Amino acid sequence: MLQILHETNIDFMSKRKMWMTISAVLVVLSIVVIAVRGINLGVEFKGGTELQIKYVAKPDVGQVRAQLDAAGFRSPSVTRIGREQENEVYIRLASEGAAASQAEKGQGVVTRVKEALRPPELKARLNEGAVDLNEADANTLQQLLALAPGMDPERAKQMADHVLERRKEKGVLAGVQDVASVPGMTPEVTTFLQGKAFAGPFAFRSQSYIGPTIGAELVRKAVTAIVLSMIGMLVYIAFRFRMEMGIGAVVALIHDTIITLGIFALFGKEMSLPVVAAFLTLVGYSTNDTVVIFDRIRENLKNHPGADLITTINHSVNQTLSRTILTSGLTWLTVTSLWLFGGEPLEPFAFVMVVGIIVGTYSSVYIASPYVLLWQAWRTRGKSVKAAPAKAAGTAPAVPREGAPPARRATKVRKASSAR
Amino acid sequence: MSKNLWWKILLIVVPLGLSVAAIYPPKDKIALGLDLRGGAHILMQIDTGSAIAYSTDLAQTRIGQALKDAKIAYGAISSSAPGTIKIEGVDPTRSADVRQVLEIPVGEWSISGSGGSYTLEMPMSVRQAQERLAIESTLDTLRTRVDGLGVREAVVQPSGKDRVLVLLPGVEDPDRVKGILQDPAVLEWKKVVYPPGVTDYRNWRPPTSREEVLTMFGGALPPGVKVYPETRPDGSGGSVTTWWPVGESVVIGKDITNAQRGSGQWGGHNISFRLSKDAGRRFEAATREYVNKHMAIVLGSARDESKHVVSAPTINEPISDQGQITGSFTLEQAEDLSLKLRSGAIPADVRIIEERTVGPSLGRDSIRKGVLAGVVGFLSVMAFMLVYYRLSGLNAVIALALNVPLLLGAMAYFGASLSLPGIAGLILTLGMAVDANVLIFERIREELRLGKTVRQAVDLGFSRAFLTIVDCHITTLVSAFFLFSYGTGPVKGFAVSLTIGIIVSMFTAVFVSRVIYQIVLGEGRPVEALSI
Repeated sequence: MLQILHETNIDFMSKRKMWMTISAVLVVLSIVVIAVRGINLGVEFKGGTELQIKYVAKPDVGQVRAQLDAAGFRSPSVTRIGREQENEVYIRLASEGAAASQAEKGQGVVTRVKEALRPPELKARLNEGAVDLNEADANTLQQLLALAPGMDPERAKQMADHVLERRKEKGVLAGVQDVASVPGMTPEVTTFLQGKAFAGPFAFRSQSYIGPTIGAELVRKAVTAIVLSMIGMLVYIAFRFRMEMGIGAVVALIHDTIITLGIFALFGKEMSLPVVAAFLTLVGYSTNDTVVIFDRIRENLKNHPGADLITTINHSVNQTLSRTILTSGLTWLTVTSLWLFGGEPLEPFAFVMVVGIIVGTYSSVYIASPYVLLWQAWRTRGKSVKAAPAKAAGTAPAVPREGAPPARRATKVRKASSAR
Repeated sequence: MSKNLWWKILLIVVPLGLSVAAIYPPKDKIALGLDLRGGAHILMQIDTGSAIAYSTDLAQTRIGQALKDAKIAYGAISSSAPGTIKIEGVDPTRSADVRQVLEIPVGEWSISGSGGSYTLEMPMSVRQAQERLAIESTLDTLRTRVDGLGVREAVVQPSGKDRVLVLLPGVEDPDRVKGILQDPAVLEWKKVVYPPGVTDYRNWRPPTSREEVLTMFGGALPPGVKVYPETRPDGSGGSVTTWWPVGESVVIGKDITNAQRGSGQWGGHNISFRLSKDAGRRFEAATREYVNKHMAIVLGSARDESKHVVSAPTINEPISDQGQITGSFTLEQAEDLSLKLRSGAIPADVRIIEERTVGPSLGRDSIRKGVLAGVVGFLSVMAFMLVYYRLSGLNAVIALALNVPLLLGAMAYFGASLSLPGIAGLILTLGMAVDANVLIFERIREELRLGKTVRQAVDLGFSRAFLTIVDCHITTLVSAFFLFSYGTGPVKGFAVSLTIGIIVSMFTAVFVSRVIYQIVLGEGRPVEALSI
């Protein structure tokens, strides 16, 4: 039997103070990073316009910015994205004022950006009536092809579709030669196209515009969703297990979220809706590991009522350790593959998952479980914490609270366990 | 095999068969979100306040008309806020008649005051009814306009209280569409009011600035007269704007029953329209009065500042229920304007608050990359499971492989389309699905270590791990629920695929894997060893 970990017997709990201190430091550092660097809010939250453009050749980011500046766009941001050979850029434009939006009415942002980026010689060709193959829609292409020698309308329609299909496949056409091999193309038609059409230096891939009001609304919704789902976790675990376990799990969740957000801010990644989705998923997923450990703690408390809490927790963490590492590791494998191969739009999402799963797994072991101990210690403060579990041995897994009937907690545990 | 087992197998094979049938061939059957197939996603906000403002304006005009008709003198009618109208300086001797006169234009409003001045308030019930009406007719108008665009499988649906979501698959250049969707297209034929002293009506040309118009009228416009701009090409590449003083409306957009783009005599494009019978009569009377004079065709929203003159033709002869709008239109402009006129006006201001357009090439790239990431993820999980758990790992891999068609089939069944975050959700659930298998297998190993027989260990492994699995997955379901409730657009798609994925993975890991063990281990005879 192949095993990553043979029966381990690590004393996790004795080092709990050290780990909790390290975590506290990490949380504080993360808050500092978030405060200093700020979170790079994407267009969805800030409002504005974002365009993704694919160039035929390597784009000169500085030049693109200069062209947009010259066209009167206020502080455009231009960044390269994806792999080097994909020649893609993101253009982000801040939300424009009311006056500018009046001007936009006649001419949309896309049209204005295209105008700004198009080289003058191609503008001249467009004015002469030539067609840009990287822009033309099916109708325009069909009308153009219908004028080619020996063409009938039906064939023109089919060929227009083939040209579009080729553009879809390649993302951006480098020139008329790129469509020379589409089905039905003849040398005559190619020659005709060479005269009447050209391929512009870029093609639009996507565009989004988010109004300023909706941006604020999305921020509010995102925060509400995350807070509510943490409360949801608390309620669920408190209901299925015990209150202190629920609180322990939520403390771990807040820890995970802040540290992951700190690393996210450190790398200057951009916050978007899918990233919020990733954080929410993380809230659910990192509770997952915690629940498995808690479940084992509960089972061990039931089966070995005499053992003290520290030993029980240690034992439970050790028993579940290999499966905690295995499951987290396997999910981590899939999100890593998403991170590496999933493409630009999903990259920040996958990044959060890749980081968050590691942090979440760590916190299940070093934060959530010790927290349960800490809670016990706090509740029995004034009494000797070390002696307490021994005294309680035989009755309940933990020290009964003053005034509470000693059997109550034990009953509760039994009740929860008897559900199986 | 026992009868029981056959039933269980049936319970796996039937959903699987249904799922495969629902998604085969995948190219046609799997519904893709706009971010994968390409298209425009447009969210519009309806400003219901503007509808109230519009009806307040209308009420003001009607009150003035009613008072004039009843020959009651008044000083001014003003509105400080939408829904509130003040009438001042009313002839105090006629105060007995005022309320009766107001009954017709604003009967449902509450009227207070006496003597010379009155305050009219639009009650909440009327306001709400007006807002509802504005939303409904905006939706109707948008539907008609979207239908007129000829986009296949376009969707126009209400979103929340006062928003409209428009989905246009395959639309790559949204600029034109946005123009059509946002334009309120309130069309009015208005009489041109000539400044004093003008005698040659036919050849009069309006001035090029608003101030000049005012000067012509001696500093102030007569009551009821407004000035709107007209912009035309000047013949040398630029454009020139002139300002028309116009008076009352003769015909408004609602009176138009049909509008079509046509070609003019000289190759330009125009719009021919048809009016309702009633409007036709009004139009005929007005045009008879205005032969050899100008009438302005004004287009805009309820608000004055958005109104402009499309063209101001000279009336050659009385026109009844058919006419043409000629202006300097391109083919596309003529096409769009006739669509807007046909579909009617949007009674409230609408504006686009969110818009996402994805080109088809990007969508295709995303699918390709998503599939690659999924395959790599699956293969690495598979390799690990086979090495680590050997034949039991194979069991898990089979269960995992069943996940994909079951998940896609369930999504097809619920009519959910697959979005880009949805693909991420799918890949993520592959990772989470093995979680359950690992939990079970680790448990079985533990039981074996404790000296249980293979059969006992398998049974205990499944039954002991079951509740843990449920607990784990419920936490993820809780976050997916909040994600769905508060997420928008593609993120909702992620929540859907995550939720379905979790449920399906519980089925495959807990039920399917167990059945596979039962088939392999057989029944009754003792089993010596388990490959785990």
